[in-house]
Amino acid sequence: MAKKKGKPIVFPVVFMVLVAAVFTGVLATLNAVTIDTIREQEELKKQTSILYVFDQTIPADADALVAKYNEVISHGSSGDVDYYMATVEGQVTGYAFEFQGSGLWGTIWGYVAVTPEFDQIMGVDFIKHSETPGLGGRISEAWYRDQFRGISLDDAQQEFIIYKPAAGGNVDAVTGATLTSVSVKNMLDERLRELLANTKGAI
Amino acid sequence: MASKTKKIFTLGVWQDNPVYRQILGICSALAVTNLMMNSLVMGLGLIFVTAFSSLTVSLLRNYTPKHIRMMVQTLIIAGYVIIVDIFLRAYYPAMSEALGPYVGLIITNCIIMGRAEAFAQFNTPFYSFLDGVASGTGYALVLLFIAFFRELLGFGSLFGINVLGAGWVNWTLMIMPPGAFFMLGIVIWITHRYLPSEEDLKGGAKA
Repeated sequence: MAKKKGKPIVFPVVFMVLVAAVFTGVLATLNAVTIDTIREQEELKKQTSILYVFDQTIPADADALVAKYNEVISHGSSGDVDYYMATVEGQVTGYAFEFQGSGLWGTIWGYVAVTPEFDQIMGVDFIKHSETPGLGGRISEAWYRDQFRGISLDDAQQEFIIYKPAAGGNVDAVTGATLTSVSVKNMLDERLRELLANTKGAI
Repeated sequence: MASKTKKIFTLGVWQDNPVYRQILGICSALAVTNLMMNSLVMGLGLIFVTAFSSLTVSLLRNYTPKHIRMMVQTLIIAGYVIIVDIFLRAYYPAMSEALGPYVGLIITNCIIMGRAEAFAQFNTPFYSFLDGVASGTGYALVLLFIAFFRELLGFGSLFGINVLGAGWVNWTLMIMPPGAFFMLGIVIWITHRYLPSEEDLKGGAKA
């Protein structure tokens, strides 16, 4: 035990508790002050993302973006699946669903939108990931996300995303980030299979 | 006073630079240097955390029981890192995303604890703060130097602005991890070859 050497025990404990209390207090205050801003930013990002997967033009101004989102997108659920529906001029143009899966470092979250007939991907976007900046992190760059638009979906298929240069390839993987690219493919394929099997025709 | 300040800065930024001389903070130096912007924000984050944690450690240095000082330092550093993380998430969400896990990993950067242990424990708060700024600046400058070459050769751009034109063929190697190893190796090689270390100047190794 530490006591044998005569090291004080009470003061260090009290000291540690005090320092910890002060820092916890500061952080809790800071958290309380910024929580609304962070929520707002996240909500804005989510709305941008959903408009993006439906291939809508995204207003640069935050207020215009929220207005457009409220005009075009409505939220609903079918069974236990949440979906976002885009309606342009009275016509339903597609449905978007959240997807998630594990990437190289952590969970990747995103949205995938499909046409009302579930026969094409309208778009894919990632809202949160912790992949290596500059490598796996490049999945959030436009050139990568844009490639998913218009990929055709068919109940008979097991794989929808096929990386070039494999036969029938429709998407370029990210150079130097093979594991992230494969994770993205797997989580999308899995989510789309589920949606085609369970949600198609149910909305 | 001015001469001590000057000495702190020459040591931290140049002669005793944390990255190429002390070989500290290498993990993040390798990881975020593929883009200038990431390196800049990482450098600023580190300057902030090192400066303020050194300041706090120094303020508490006469009250902290010696045998629990590491615990106290870790707690202080963690506190400031969380502040940086919250700040980026609230006001610079795009940057927070680009840096991903590395903001949280500032806490494992040996430079901060190194300065707390080597300097802030024995010096007054004012100089400790300056020492943190100096070491952080040294780190940031090396990162920016490496990132300059990696982004320029790997993407043909600087701070995301294309400078080499469309005809430039990107050296993908430079933005991948091996590019960081090559660049850092070259930097350490050159600095050790051409910059005299503190020991050399004194004419012999100190303990």
